[in-house]
Amino acid sequence: MADLAHGKPGAGTVPLADHAPTTRRDFLTVAGYAIAAVGAVCVAWPILDSMNPAADVLAAGAPVDIDLSRVQPGQQIVVLWRSRPIFVVNRTPELLKTLQDPRDISLLSDPNSTAPQQPEYATNWHRSIQPQYLVLVGICTHLGCIPSFMPQPNSVSPGWLGGYFCPCHGSRYDLSGRVYSGVPAPYNLPVPPYRFLSKTMIRIGENPPDGGDFSLESVEQI
Amino acid sequence: MAGTPSTVRTNSRLIKWIDTRLPLFTFVQDAAIDYPEPRNLNYFWNFGSLAGTMLVIMITTGIFLAMQYTPHVDYAFSSVERLMRDVNYGWLLRYIHMNGASFFFIVVYIHIFRGYYYGSYKEPRELLWMLGVVILLLMMATAFFGYVLPWGQMSYWGATVITNLFTAIPVIGNPIHTWLLGGFAVGNPTLNRFFSLHYLLPFVIVGVVGLHLIALRQHGSNNPLGIAVKGPQDEIPFHPYYTIKDMFGLGVFLVIYAIFIFYLPNALGDPQNYIEANPLQTPPEIVPEWYLLPFYAILRSIPDKLIGVLALFASIFILFLLPWLDTSRVRSSYFRPIHKWVFWLLVIDVFALGTVGAHRPEGAYIVVGRIATFYYFFHFVILLPLIGWFERPLPLPESIAAAVTKKTAAAPGAAQSGAVS
Amino acid sequence: MRALAVIAIASVALAGAPIAASAQDEVEAPHQNWSFAGIFGTFDRGSLQRGFQIYNEVCSNCHSMKLLHYRDLGPNGPGGGIGFSDAEVAAIAAQKQVEDGPNDQGEMFRRPGKPQDTFVSPFPNVEAARAANGGAAPPDLSVIVKARGRGLEYLWGEGGPDYVYGILTGFEDKPPTGFQLTQGKYYNNIFPGHQISMPPPLADNTVKFQDGTKATLSQEAHDAATFLTWAAEPNMEDRKQTGAKAILFLLAMTGVLYGAKRRVWKDLH
Repeated sequence: MADLAHGKPGAGTVPLADHAPTTRRDFLTVAGYAIAAVGAVCVAWPILDSMNPAADVLAAGAPVDIDLSRVQPGQQIVVLWRSRPIFVVNRTPELLKTLQDPRDISLLSDPNSTAPQQPEYATNWHRSIQPQYLVLVGICTHLGCIPSFMPQPNSVSPGWLGGYFCPCHGSRYDLSGRVYSGVPAPYNLPVPPYRFLSKTMIRIGENPPDGGDFSLESVEQI
Repeated sequence: MAGTPSTVRTNSRLIKWIDTRLPLFTFVQDAAIDYPEPRNLNYFWNFGSLAGTMLVIMITTGIFLAMQYTPHVDYAFSSVERLMRDVNYGWLLRYIHMNGASFFFIVVYIHIFRGYYYGSYKEPRELLWMLGVVILLLMMATAFFGYVLPWGQMSYWGATVITNLFTAIPVIGNPIHTWLLGGFAVGNPTLNRFFSLHYLLPFVIVGVVGLHLIALRQHGSNNPLGIAVKGPQDEIPFHPYYTIKDMFGLGVFLVIYAIFIFYLPNALGDPQNYIEANPLQTPPEIVPEWYLLPFYAILRSIPDKLIGVLALFASIFILFLLPWLDTSRVRSSYFRPIHKWVFWLLVIDVFALGTVGAHRPEGAYIVVGRIATFYYFFHFVILLPLIGWFERPLPLPESIAAAVTKKTAAAPGAAQSGAVS
Repeated sequence: MRALAVIAIASVALAGAPIAASAQDEVEAPHQNWSFAGIFGTFDRGSLQRGFQIYNEVCSNCHSMKLLHYRDLGPNGPGGGIGFSDAEVAAIAAQKQVEDGPNDQGEMFRRPGKPQDTFVSPFPNVEAARAANGGAAPPDLSVIVKARGRGLEYLWGEGGPDYVYGILTGFEDKPPTGFQLTQGKYYNNIFPGHQISMPPPLADNTVKFQDGTKATLSQEAHDAATFLTWAAEPNMEDRKQTGAKAILFLLAMTGVLYGAKRRVWKDLH
């Protein structure tokens, strides 16, 4: 019946082959099918959008307040913000010294934090607002595991200055979350937006009043 | 078609390359483009493709709703409300799905009555019809499981009443009941398995629909005249004629459906289902969804538990026997002067049953319910075989084409949709 | 066979029958004018805020609203909230004490509410609610308007604001002569059976509206019912507006398809 399509439209009782569909594309028919296709696309949006974060998920990302007096010198605490682990470290002067050690800097992949992994106010050698307190998103930029906090020198390998070691694929970061070269992780650990409410209270999830509108949506990689 | 192996008509080398290896395009061309249909199908033949569309809509929205739903007695109700409030367009998905169940049944019931009126179940289409009844049964089960999921009062008590039907079975009834529920009353295990089955059964329906379509292709569509296609002059290709007609019908259908989704979203449901399930309190009235009301009325009209349950199941299973209960040689009621009227009696009877099912069994409703239940079975078991014997059908036209031209000649500009409507 | 189409439409109408056929001792609540009724109906934000004030100051002493969050009242809430700013929402939430925890010591503690908290319930559980209210737990009000829906309003997806208004204004000091009122119950014209466990919650000047509106009983009942209708389906405005667009689109599409269908079939006759 392949000849069917090439017949001429007829009338009355002419046989099927003669009634065959016209090859002429009628404007109304094309318009009808086109509108229907547009409608189908319009319906697809609400269906797909339902998979985006719902209002309760977005609201659960509300800021979290942390009392820094809970963090002993040289220690780290982990809090959950937007379902992500946030590292808060109280860095002693000795630990801070490692960050400016030329030996450390020469091994880093991005020592000056040029990739947008942190807000403006943390784009400095210590990657924080105050040098003493480090705030990081504790998710390896390689494939999303949680790096272990290893502040003791030589604890990971001989010559280790203290930093983060990811148990999954061996990525290494220093004590400001800067990634070393030669490991699978491509970027420094991200710094979330945060601000000081008082000398000992920080709020994670809000920029300082003059700190711009940084958000984690704009970082290269979490 | 016509014995000649067809290949897809195309100039695209890619399509040809694929089609030689996997004849998908040829299949679509044969099944949905060139496929010959009787030229006189009226708008009631739209409801088959509408039912298919509803199945796709229900499965699509259902998959996305399942992503937001929590099948646990403590969270089911609030997860549905979260969907209505917090999820982007969650309210729209839910209202499409909720009203979709009703519209699916409306479409399928019209499809069934169309098949009945025009004798579409008669030889050689008996299995086509019986597969349709299987689909109806599967739809009822799916709808029932789905209605339990929001875990409102009517969900809970509907599930309780319907599962209790099985306790009517002698000896093994109670163990079966406990096994179905996974407990001694409707509870969390019940909700979990109903969710699982509600997700599974639609895909079983898809499978049976596939068989239904294979059976349909074997002898082609019936038509309003009920006479066989005698040659190409009786037929037209599916595309463009029935594609555009189905699309137009779909448009009209969607307008009505959309009015319900956006302006009458809860009209077909029960307000009691906006109260979270409470095993300590039965609602003043337990009413199933409207599409199950006629069967519910049959159950309640019989003052004996076991016989009532048997009558309920018999009222559906009797449809399997319809091809043999109808003894007439003529398919279409258009040529059956008596059956034409008896058909309407059955329609009225089913509506009467539906109305009875919606009301408390009191006073006149009991009487009407019993008469209507009696008539339902009387119609199929006694009336239908008898009418086939003594009815004298009108003379059948020579062919579909002859009937069409005669009508067109007699009344120029007559409805183009078909010979009879 | 045309008649089958009529039947199809009638079946849709008939489906409403179970709703129409409710309990017999029911009195229909008098119909009120609601700004959210009809195809293009919208909520009156002032009324919503007054209604929330009534819930907050009066109803919430006994009735929970577990499905709502304080954030719902703000601009990012479902349906755009009831017109409060983020700061106002935070202030409303902060007035509440929320149980949270466990803390580092493993203990539960109380803290000021945050916008993402659900409305604080007056009772810790249903047993406590029942015990404190003479055996009848006050129902949760989150979707009460939909749960008490009846008649045409219910059909239109607005639930039963008339019923809520009717209950709130339907109390009588004395039952009609001959009516046996159970001890501890109150007579209500609208409540099925007329005996309600809830004492009259509202009277003239029960609240002092922040926007200066005169707090008559009918004003209070109207605002409370408006707020509860919003709470039951906050996306109603969005639904109706989306619906108008969708239906216009479908009508246009169907019109074009009808023209196309006639064109294609013209060849055949």
